[in-house]
Amino acid sequence: MAGANMKAIKRRIKSVESTMQITKAMELVASSKLRHAKERAEQAVPFFNLLYETMSEVASEAVGFHSAYTELREDGAALLIVMAGDRGLAGGFNVNVFRLADKRIRELEAQGREVILMTVGKKASEHYAKAENRILGTFDNVAEKMTTYTALHMAEHIVHLFDQGHLALVEVFFTNMVSPLSQEARQMQVIPVPNLERNPGVQSLTHYEPSPEAVFNSLIPQYLAGILYCTVVDTYASEQAARRMAMENATDNAQEMIDDLSLKYNRARQASITQELTEIVSGANAQE
Amino acid sequence: MSIFRLRIITPEKVFFEGAVQRVIVRTSEGDLGILAKHEKYVAALPSGPVKITMEDGTERIAALSGGAVKVSPDHTAILANAVEWAEDIDIDWAKRSEEDARRRKENSQNQEDLKYAELKLQRALNRLRVSSMKDL
Repeated sequence: MAGANMKAIKRRIKSVESTMQITKAMELVASSKLRHAKERAEQAVPFFNLLYETMSEVASEAVGFHSAYTELREDGAALLIVMAGDRGLAGGFNVNVFRLADKRIRELEAQGREVILMTVGKKASEHYAKAENRILGTFDNVAEKMTTYTALHMAEHIVHLFDQGHLALVEVFFTNMVSPLSQEARQMQVIPVPNLERNPGVQSLTHYEPSPEAVFNSLIPQYLAGILYCTVVDTYASEQAARRMAMENATDNAQEMIDDLSLKYNRARQASITQELTEIVSGANAQE
Repeated sequence: MSIFRLRIITPEKVFFEGAVQRVIVRTSEGDLGILAKHEKYVAALPSGPVKITMEDGTERIAALSGGAVKVSPDHTAILANAVEWAEDIDIDWAKRSEEDARRRKENSQNQEDLKYAELKLQRALNRLRVSSMKDL
């Protein structure tokens, strides 16, 4: 009886140990990927800041500035770009961003706006594969090796649709890595370009070639590509951080289970030894 | 000759940062030479070469794949999708990229594919041109 129990416990310990090896390995892989991803996310910041600064200046300094990209159109669809991971096992990482995006989809549809989607990451395309929403494009497995060209390709596609009047609104749903221990799903409005300061009447001393509007509009694909690049890289870093944390917890839990099972195993072993001893002693006593 | 600060930034990294005497960029309207104390100026840049005269007078050429230039009297910034020094350009890769772009252009189904292929082709051709360039 005790022997069979011991065997079962031993088997469980073995199985938990091998699971722990996997979670431990995944944790290490995620933390090394996180380091690279974090660097990449930080390096993208100066470019984007300068780009945005330039666009703000154009919009604020040029007299009578007017661009289709800064005003909300009455008709046209809303394009939501939802970014998630290519894999699961990262805690609530994928679910959080979907929750935010789904809420926004319902909100927009209640307003009577048509919603179309673009997904980045396999999990996102799987999540919306069932949805009846129109999928404009899916970008799986691009996050890890994200390049400016991928971002530019996506951006050109969107600008093209916007120029033809199909789109009124472009929003990005991504996960921002606040710190390696905390990631937050966010929503960002991209078009109409938000928060551009306007102070009309201030004559600009800057020379724009060929014209402020032309410069502004030619920066739009770059601006969009810049945002897409930054958010994809940020989301990827968040995914790795979330996975590292989830796997760390799993490893800790496995360790706890092993400790617990080891205790049980030792108790069972002790019990069987005690029982054997009792049997021997009582056997010897019976001989007398 | 007086110098000014130049930064060339791509989304992936800060490609160049330092003091220079002069920089020449190719805008949609033509070549533009920028010296210190240039008037404030902003222009979009198609794919093309950039020539930089360093602080010590040496000259370097780089291939720029689309972007913008922003000039202030003491500071110039170039935003680029990608940029490489002429001597660092991988010619085989650029040639393959050119072939690929031409193939895409032929097989393109719609205007958007065509535009994308066209831009890709321009980038590849620009790299090839700049890699063999000694001067603008």
